Amino acid sequence: MADNEMKAKLKDFICSTLGVEADVLEYDTELFGDSSIGLDSVDSLEIISYVDGEFGVDMTGVDKENFLSIDTIAAYITANK
Amino acid sequence: MENDRTRCVITGLGMISAIGGNVEECWNNAINAVSGIDHTKTVDTENCYSDYSAEVRDDTPWSLPGTQGMDRASKLCIKAVAEAMNDSGLTDFGGSERAGVIMGSCVGGVVSVEEYYTKGKKAELIPQMPIAAIASQAAGYCHAGGVVTNVANACAAGTISISYASDLIRTGRADVVIAGGADSFASVPYAGFTSLHALDANPCSPFNHLSGITLGEGAGAVIVESYEHAKARGAKIYCEVLGSGVSSDAHHITAPRPDGEGQMNAIRDAIKNSGITEADIDYVNAHGTGTAKNDEAEFLSLHTIFDGKNDDLSVSSTKAMTGHCLGAAGAVEAVLAIKALCENIVPPTVGFSEDDLTLLAERAGKLDFCPNVPRKKELHTVMSNSFAFGGNNASIVFGKKIGSVKMRDERPRIGITGMGIVTPAGNGVQNYVEDFVPGTPAAAADLCSSVGKDDYDALGLKMAFYRKLDRFSQLQAVSGMEALQDGGFTITDDNATDIGIIVGTSEGALSPVCDFEMLIAEKGNANGSAFKFPNTVYNAAGGYLSICSGIKGYNVTATNGAQSGLFSAAYAMSVIRLGREKAMLATGTDENDDIIRELYGTLGYAADKPVEPYSGSDSFILSDGSTTLLLEDETAAKDRGARIYAYAKGCGSAHRNVEFGKLSGSDEALDRAIAEAVADAGITAADIGAVVGFADGCKAVDDIELGALKRVFGGRLAELPVLSVKERLGEGRAASAALGAAHAALMLHGDIPEDSAYFLGGDGKMARKTVKSGELDNILALSFGAGGSYCALVIGR
Repeated sequence: MADNEMKAKLKDFICSTLGVEADVLEYDTELFGDSSIGLDSVDSLEIISYVDGEFGVDMTGVDKENFLSIDTIAAYITANK
Repeated sequence: MENDRTRCVITGLGMISAIGGNVEECWNNAINAVSGIDHTKTVDTENCYSDYSAEVRDDTPWSLPGTQGMDRASKLCIKAVAEAMNDSGLTDFGGSERAGVIMGSCVGGVVSVEEYYTKGKKAELIPQMPIAAIASQAAGYCHAGGVVTNVANACAAGTISISYASDLIRTGRADVVIAGGADSFASVPYAGFTSLHALDANPCSPFNHLSGITLGEGAGAVIVESYEHAKARGAKIYCEVLGSGVSSDAHHITAPRPDGEGQMNAIRDAIKNSGITEADIDYVNAHGTGTAKNDEAEFLSLHTIFDGKNDDLSVSSTKAMTGHCLGAAGAVEAVLAIKALCENIVPPTVGFSEDDLTLLAERAGKLDFCPNVPRKKELHTVMSNSFAFGGNNASIVFGKKIGSVKMRDERPRIGITGMGIVTPAGNGVQNYVEDFVPGTPAAAADLCSSVGKDDYDALGLKMAFYRKLDRFSQLQAVSGMEALQDGGFTITDDNATDIGIIVGTSEGALSPVCDFEMLIAEKGNANGSAFKFPNTVYNAAGGYLSICSGIKGYNVTATNGAQSGLFSAAYAMSVIRLGREKAMLATGTDENDDIIRELYGTLGYAADKPVEPYSGSDSFILSDGSTTLLLEDETAAKDRGARIYAYAKGCGSAHRNVEFGKLSGSDEALDRAIAEAVADAGITAADIGAVVGFADGCKAVDDIELGALKRVFGGRLAELPVLSVKERLGEGRAASAALGAAHAALMLHGDIPEDSAYFLGGDGKMARKTVKSGELDNILALSFGAGGSYCALVIGR
């Protein structure tokens, strides 16, 4: 799967399931913490579940830095497929 | 010395849980360290990482006479209520207005929801779904005719219900109240906590391994009674109900504040309101769920409050035996705490190995967590704590001796100083007033409110916050924040604990519950949504409102039909009158979406063309929205220079049980609610200048209203204007009930100068005539709840 296709799918998921508005979410936007997106641990469970189901990659327990942005999540998926 | 007016006692106990079918069995197992946790039998655990739960094994609830067709939660509740009544020497209240029922629940009729979506959509299951059914059906069992409601504050609900019951007695609104809580173990909570990874893969281990909870189920009921009433009938008295505290975290929808601030506010309030000190507490039945977030915050709270002030404090979590019974937890734990007090035995916290004990010693300090074995100890005063999803905290104290519960002597006037209005016609008070044209009919047969980015921006709400909210919570957040803004009330560090919230709702989070059930019915219990699950608790909306506003005071979600939108104001008035808070947000919120539309449609109540009030239809315009009133102690309001729209002068609540979901036959309760409200306001029916009615076009509803008005007002009806907010905006249930009160206040304040009212002519027909707001001094707002509950509120100048 092309990198951009994967990122587009992740963005679609984050917008449709986690209520993030598409116009403020770029692939390098910071997702967690005090960012304008403000994802938290509950959201990370949803992302882990989606990534497992959609891409067959288990992100349970992986380091926080892999969840920084859509870019880093996609990079982890690519590296661990 | 506590005077008799403030003296509340416990005269009966009832309980069912995984460790027993009655109080004695549960108690004996508790002090013998027998855990009820085992592999799950009643719920599908395929592919789930934990299959432990604490299921009720006793099968007597399933065949109790008179409970056929009720949800599992109601059957558990009535089992405990029956035991408590019997224990207390009570048989039947005979419809007495001095007897009430307050029941806590978290997930309510989820077993009926599951059956509806997995075993054919049977209409008879629908009335069993909402939490509201539980207290109403329990009141039907014992024929209580006074205040009847459910407290839907998730895991703190059971404790709050007992606190509120004692407040009702102390404010003179009841002599005896059955309080407690009930919840079932079912797929929705099991799949939900699985999705959150909040279940322990092994039996839960509170204050020990901290790897998660184990769900339980059950019910607890206590008879809370005024001392005078108990003495007069020669009742056995277990103990005194002393003070209690209820607070909110304003932090996170599922996680407690790590600094324990909210927990400590509730605990300290309970101690202060009891008129005792930290040193007087001998035993704390802790919340102790077994999650790291809860238990670490709770270790911190207990150490901060008691270290150095009480070196002989016993603490235990009985959840290691009963599992976490959610909305029943506070109730079953109150029963166990009261038994501990009376028997002078502290039940243990089970599940510690030798190695665990070493770690516990480091964490516990001088606190004695009674690991594995009970402790015999002379107990004089005990505390039970519950902390919930939504950031709600509750603490209550029971004692052998009369405490020193303080009550304010004077009764404050309560002003309506702000309001937030979300209706299908638009949002905001200004919009409501400007848009209002008397006598406008509804635009459609089905109406929905809308909140969006413009509203959030105007209220300063950020996307990182509102993206998490389900629609019910969105409606509530917008109207709640609008009410604060409209009232010019800024939440600061100094006043955050002086203001609280009562959310009133008929169906609450039923739509998110059904949505979640549909998800797991399709994908299995291992594939629930961690994002969606927190919004299935009815108090999520109140929790979010606390988070976005910063309100840290009292926080309760009350649900018992449409009348909950007025009942919230009555409840808020009692909170202010007791001096618990200086200001309260009282709300009415309900939503209309595809799910709710299907449920009302299946029952035949959703109209397919616009329906006018008093038109003799068999259906109504299904609608939704949210109205929030800011109620404030007049002195506090004047101190800050607040505008006062009008005063909430008096309130009344009554119940006459009919089958839940129906109304006909409960007429006389509305008469009583009106009489109580008028008396509470210190006026007579002759002083009422207008009524905001609850007629929605459905004949069964409208006939009850008209019948009561005829009986109460007699010949005056031809000249007494009856106003309607539902003519234009439909049946928004709790939202309409609260809107009726807001509409009345806006008329009294002159913002709405006139309205087109209904008048009942001598020929029995309704006529229309314009009424000038300036001619009105007192307006009576009315609302009804399915199952036969009514609330009346007098709003005046």
